[in-house]
Amino acid sequence: MVAEGALAAGCRFFAGYPITPASEIYEVMMRELVTRGGLALSAPDEISSLCYCVGASLRGLKAMTATSGPGWALMLETVQYALMTETPVVIALVQRLGPSTGGATQGAQGDIFLAEFSTSGGYTIPVFAPSNAAECYELTQQAFNWSERLRCPVVLLTDKEVGMTTEVVEEAALAKVAPVERTGIGAKAPFAAYEIESAESVPGFAPVGGPVKVTITGSAHDRWGRLRKVSPEVVEMLVHLQRKIEAHAAEMAFVRPDLDPEASSLLVSYGITARAAREAVGVLRKEGFPISFLQVQTLFPVPVEALRRAAAGIRTVFVAEENLTGQYRTVLAPFLMGTRLLGINKVGSMISPGEIVRAIRRAGGTIPRGDWPCTHSLDESIHPDRKAGV
Amino acid sequence: MGNPAYLARDAKLPYCRGCGHALVVRQLSQALEGLRLPPHSVVLTTDIGCVGLADSLFPYLHTVHTTHGRSTAMAIGMALAGAVLPDSGLKPIVMIGDGGAMIGLLHLVHAAQLNVDITVLFHNNFLFGMTGGQHSAFTPLEWITSTTPEGNVIPPLDLLQLLQTAHAGFLARQFATDSSLDAVIADAIAFPGFSLVEILETCTGYGALRNKTTGNVLREVASRQGYLIGRMEAAQQRTTFGALYRQELQSRPARKARPQAPELAVKADLADPLHIVIAGTAGERVQSSAALLCSAALSVGLHSTQKNDNPVTQGTGFSLSEICLSPRLIEYTGMESVDVVIGVSQEGWNELQANGTLAKSTPKTLVLLDAELEITPPTGRVLRQPFRREATPKRAALAAIAFWLGMGPVVPKAAWDAVVGSLPVDRREDVLTALRVGQNLASQGGTYAA
Repeated sequence: MVAEGALAAGCRFFAGYPITPASEIYEVMMRELVTRGGLALSAPDEISSLCYCVGASLRGLKAMTATSGPGWALMLETVQYALMTETPVVIALVQRLGPSTGGATQGAQGDIFLAEFSTSGGYTIPVFAPSNAAECYELTQQAFNWSERLRCPVVLLTDKEVGMTTEVVEEAALAKVAPVERTGIGAKAPFAAYEIESAESVPGFAPVGGPVKVTITGSAHDRWGRLRKVSPEVVEMLVHLQRKIEAHAAEMAFVRPDLDPEASSLLVSYGITARAAREAVGVLRKEGFPISFLQVQTLFPVPVEALRRAAAGIRTVFVAEENLTGQYRTVLAPFLMGTRLLGINKVGSMISPGEIVRAIRRAGGTIPRGDWPCTHSLDESIHPDRKAGV
Repeated sequence: MGNPAYLARDAKLPYCRGCGHALVVRQLSQALEGLRLPPHSVVLTTDIGCVGLADSLFPYLHTVHTTHGRSTAMAIGMALAGAVLPDSGLKPIVMIGDGGAMIGLLHLVHAAQLNVDITVLFHNNFLFGMTGGQHSAFTPLEWITSTTPEGNVIPPLDLLQLLQTAHAGFLARQFATDSSLDAVIADAIAFPGFSLVEILETCTGYGALRNKTTGNVLREVASRQGYLIGRMEAAQQRTTFGALYRQELQSRPARKARPQAPELAVKADLADPLHIVIAGTAGERVQSSAALLCSAALSVGLHSTQKNDNPVTQGTGFSLSEICLSPRLIEYTGMESVDVVIGVSQEGWNELQANGTLAKSTPKTLVLLDAELEITPPTGRVLRQPFRREATPKRAALAAIAFWLGMGPVVPKAAWDAVVGSLPVDRREDVLTALRVGQNLASQGGTYAA
């Protein structure tokens, strides 16, 4: 459904390299793109895959590649190049168990930091995390649209369990998102490839090969794309790369909240674990335990407003994710000061609804609101497989 | 367009005095002028290093300054895009040094293999100039660099020979001082496909500092390495990848959607999710049989998820399918307990033990085993049937599924008819045979209440 979403979004170029569990996307794109007027090809490694995509995108084609952790690691140089040159490109990152070659056929949610915090300078890379096939379809379209709108690389983050499970989708219920095209430059010539009109503005795009001369560089540059040592204008460019994304953060903050105004506990999850979390919430509510649930679909930029709304009046926040150290919990912590923040974490297999229910019960989450001291701890991670708990 | 000055007339070249790069940009400009290419039909794709300073010297060309070694890869992407763009005439010219050629060697090899229409100007000055004169994969033997102070002992690559084996169509090696360099560059640019010109030159900043480079030394060095000077053109011209792709694009018909079993009026009788595991041996159609079950379930209004597992070798060892059928949208796709275990081979069963599935079985779990297996399941209601013997090993999994369904109302028989009807004609008989065996066994021996 990632591939279908890409095609629906108008993807015209795909370069891939085989890697479990992302190879299905590669194979579908190789099969389908040629019948829809696009080009898909096999690259000799992941570095080449993303470079080819960036080259094609510089000519105006919507482009995507798909990989897993080991391939993503090789792509980081070019992710940063796309960021610096303001070139739209989508990378579907289908997580598997790491580190290193890890477990190719085992799911994981261990690449949150790797996906987001991988640029020199610490820039925000939009990351969307679907939890099922239908969301893959919708969020891949969003990934393309935001990549085109903001002229930046965007990550579509799934994992083996989302990417390689066959499931029924209702075609009629699939969300069709109107494709967004890059803003052109109109009659401006000569034009500055990296013009800054305002904090939220994104420079107009002119394709390499078109009638207007284009100057592109991954080095520090002025608005004309001329390589420059650090100057006030270069600094303004560097700041704007981040500001243009931040300025649109609220618009791309996709979440699926299921809030209970009586709740003193909030469960936050994303991707494959959000599905178990939703079931767990159903079980707890049947037991008479009021709990709110927030499925985060836009991991980055962090959907701060939605998070604050969900956490209003909440004493204990649980973040369920399939990694060892609570990567997204660490990201959310600064926004949840004053709440008791607990992680439900596991590696090696999916977290089950029962494990989440038991972890929440064990943490004493059923104690009514007001009885907990307002502590904030990142250390109180709950590993469902451990007997001890907190 | 008249005859544009490609190299800005007043351009102050940013290179060290005597650097070969200055000669190359002038020769490139002359070559472009001779070819009378419209400036916007050329993109100069420059690498990291002093060679990457050329962008600003060509104010009319598109320029893309890339990361180290990736200039060729970005140019490949730009050239390939031309295959599906109406204005396909863009010519990427890559300017890369010996450092970039080393770190980006794979891109050069793939560009030659694909035969993309790009021209690479490979500036070989035998070392990394911009970073202080370090050794590269193209440093000649005995050459002194900042990282080989006693002289280089590693034989340099011959990029032309290497790319010849990668089926490059146009290769040439010249000295930067050659008066014919502009003509060679022009021919390379005009060549329809991958072309590369290696230009031997001296880094006056570092190469000349530590090595004797006056007179004919460069020529002697080239000769010592066995470097051919001149052109190496392929005997036969190959079609570019872009042109091949365009042909493919025109000839490939739109793909027809795979027929699906129609949705039936009769619905499944299932109130709660059901978790089924089918375990067998690779090549015995375990996973495709499980997919048929999911199709049948879909036709009677059920949701399903299917996950497959097998060893990395795929064609050998166990083969597993884990299925969830549910009247509702399935959230959690795993199993906290298993309702039905179907084991049709020892290998498959062993894996169920190893991966913890059997630990999820309960006294209520239905365990369907092939009669040949001498296995004692830890718990559950066990039924043994001769699936392999009656249906053949390749049909055993499907026969076992049909047996199970034949005993209960979860997926009615009409669903199987719908699935069989949606299959290609040549697969139907085989599937029907397996289903018949399973259903017959069920009518004889099944004593399972759903």
